Amino acid sequence: MPRASFPRVLAFLVPFLVAAGGILVGFALSVGLPGYFVFLGTSAIVAAIAILGLGIVTGSAGMIALCQLTFAAVGAWVVAGLNVIGAPGGFVVWLAFGGVAAGVVGILVGLPALRLRGVNLAVVTLGFAAAADVTLVQIQFPGSVTGTSIERPEAFGTDREFFFLGILVLAACGLLVYFLQRSRWGSSWKAVAFSERGTASTGQSVPGAKLTAFAVSAALGGVSGGLIAGQVGLAFASSFSPIQSLALYVLAIMSGAHLIDMAIFGGLLWIVVPELLKRWGVPQDWAFVVFGVLGVQALTSGTNLGTGIRNLWWKRALRRSAVPTKSLSHDVDPAPPHRQPSRGEPILVVRDLSVTFGKVEALKKVSFELVEGTVLGLIGPNGAGKSTLVDALTGFLPQHTGFVSLDGRSLDKLSPTRRARLGLRRTFQQDRVPPSLTIDAYVRFAARRRLSTPEIADALQFFGCPPASTRLASVDVGTRRLVEVAANVLSQPRVLLLDEPAAGLSHEEHVDLGRRLTQVPDRFGTSIILIEHDLDLVRSTCDSIMVLDFGSVLASGPQDQVLANPDVIKAYMGETELL
Amino acid sequence: MLQGALSGLAAGGVYAIIAVCLTLMSRLVRVVNFAQAATGMFGSYVAVWMVSKAGIPIGLATVVGILIGGLLSGLIGWIIATWLSEADTSTRSAVTVGPLLLLISLSFILFGNKPQPFQPLLAGPAFTVSGVVISQVTVVIVVLAIVVAAASKLVLSRTSVGTKLRALSERPTTAELIGIPAKPLGVAVWAITGIISTIVIVIVAPSQSNDAIALSMLIVPGAAAALLGAFRRLDLAVLGGLVLGVIQGTVAQIDQVSFVRYFLPFLFIVGLLLWNQRKAVWDAAR
Repeated sequence: MPRASFPRVLAFLVPFLVAAGGILVGFALSVGLPGYFVFLGTSAIVAAIAILGLGIVTGSAGMIALCQLTFAAVGAWVVAGLNVIGAPGGFVVWLAFGGVAAGVVGILVGLPALRLRGVNLAVVTLGFAAAADVTLVQIQFPGSVTGTSIERPEAFGTDREFFFLGILVLAACGLLVYFLQRSRWGSSWKAVAFSERGTASTGQSVPGAKLTAFAVSAALGGVSGGLIAGQVGLAFASSFSPIQSLALYVLAIMSGAHLIDMAIFGGLLWIVVPELLKRWGVPQDWAFVVFGVLGVQALTSGTNLGTGIRNLWWKRALRRSAVPTKSLSHDVDPAPPHRQPSRGEPILVVRDLSVTFGKVEALKKVSFELVEGTVLGLIGPNGAGKSTLVDALTGFLPQHTGFVSLDGRSLDKLSPTRRARLGLRRTFQQDRVPPSLTIDAYVRFAARRRLSTPEIADALQFFGCPPASTRLASVDVGTRRLVEVAANVLSQPRVLLLDEPAAGLSHEEHVDLGRRLTQVPDRFGTSIILIEHDLDLVRSTCDSIMVLDFGSVLASGPQDQVLANPDVIKAYMGETELL
Repeated sequence: MLQGALSGLAAGGVYAIIAVCLTLMSRLVRVVNFAQAATGMFGSYVAVWMVSKAGIPIGLATVVGILIGGLLSGLIGWIIATWLSEADTSTRSAVTVGPLLLLISLSFILFGNKPQPFQPLLAGPAFTVSGVVISQVTVVIVVLAIVVAAASKLVLSRTSVGTKLRALSERPTTAELIGIPAKPLGVAVWAITGIISTIVIVIVAPSQSNDAIALSMLIVPGAAAALLGAFRRLDLAVLGGLVLGVIQGTVAQIDQVSFVRYFLPFLFIVGLLLWNQRKAVWDAAR
């Protein structure tokens, strides 16, 4: 992608330049547009800001939120209230307060969302929208009974000037969202939309990701509501009805509002469609029918305009540059396959670890130690409890009994997020790498520390991953899992649990990956437990081996002893397998 | 107090029937149908229009309206069964937001946004309990809620169609492979719940605020009631609806807190969801 070759400073400046360009165009429009369109334009800006917020909560974080205009009503309410009491600071300050207040309400409504997902959240938000709507009709906005109109700032008193103020606020919101989307928060939203387990395993708190998404989205809704109040002077409940929230949700879905340009496009549609219908002599109410139909189309096909256009663009860009996507690089010295097990201290100590699911004993009193600076191979037939062991060690099975300590510190009762932050990392057998991120964004997100670009490039090359600017959606699952390994190694954990990292790679690539893994303890200071079925990989990589069978440790010790153990041969490989 | 509680019973019966429909949909076709009440609203509006504008006898108009409600619901079901047969519940449910929006705005266009001149099908008191009059509507609605729930239960557990439906809901692929017609059965479930919700809305609309949004948003207390049975149990769904209605009726009597009643379904939803999901920590089993 061309952006990657830009100098960093320029890349940092681009969004500001775009915003400045937008403000210039907005200024020209505010001067040149006919008066009628100035008012419509302000409505489009207001809708665009609300849709920007929806883009975060539904587009990026994948939660269904059907109450965006209720948050807008909170913002409008605060602005109207501050206006009535004549609070100092004027409209712009009130607007900021409105945004903050809506953000707080967003957190309160989002709190149940910590546990909820998918359709349940949709029910909660629709319930909130319906309840707030009836309440608003009853209690009215401050100043609406007495007819106290909202005072605009002096410099933006006329409709044209207020339109320009809207442009400025939109530019500020756009910049904010741009940088948030590229920050840890943005990555965490996209990660949590794809997999909560995957998110927790990188040390990111799942509730934190959901709450920030809800709060930022609601705050943008509040700002948009405050602007509505300033635009119309007197706020009424009818401007914030649940049906409009539904329409905004549908618009956000079909335009692809997690992209800033598409959110603005959605805002334009919000007024262009009814306006066009009016020109054609069709009642404006048909606009929502049109949105409904388009929404059903977008939701059933699972596509949206923004992603569609960008995919076309990326396909063309990919064809033009034709980057060779991957293959393990061969310029790294393969370490000798058999090393002497080092005699370091035990870094991970497990005593009597048991896990039961109902009456099934998945793990029975498993005890072992992982010596610092070594690679421990964990093998066993399917269903032996290998992945259960990884889940229990990393905190995903809090019901386990027994004792686990990392670096002498007990991990008892700690959440997966805490364990990951303490330096106990894992990868998954399933694909848990969020495809909406670039490799660079994912690696920085998962590593949880400041990384230089060469450092990332180096590690990606070491594991044979594609370049950092590649989008994860465009690489195959096997490669994604290599990226997962690279990102977790870059976080420099004390211990890394790899759950069949080479599944989906060819046999040669297996062995090649194994050679690289043997160097990880020295290069990155990380000890490894490797679950693997490919015995060639295990042989070439592991200092010692533990065999699980029916949830118990069948054998453990140096690899040649374990692999020669007749019980192991019988239980795991069958009688015919040659060792 | 008693008067408030009993006056809430009619509304509670409506919630219960919507909740039963939602539960059936959730169990049998993996959808939380946000347009459940909206299709009923639209069907009943058509009936009102036919009576007041086209002069069609009320009986015929009501039947046609109910059939239109069922047809609309079946159409949504057909769309989802055709294009999203393999999708998860969230995706399938999100689609129904589109029809909800569409039906409300279409009814604004066709019938205006004022409450409709509904002619009551049932009127007058049925009997009196310690000085409080119980209307015929209340009796019919509550009885209907219980009958619908019981009938659904019987159909599902005693008939061969019921067995097929349960097979489809629990093991869709296996059921299809042994020759159970998934799509027609699914669409039929949509149509029948559409018919049921239109019937209840036709009965109850004359005696409550009946603008398009208020009727469509009956989905919210309906969902709250269905959550008591975790979208699985029909008996608890009925109970949830009745309890919610009675509490709302009682709270509405107390002036100081009467606005709380608007938030009751929402609080019900949040509370029940948190309770139901208290053990589900992760999005995937592994």
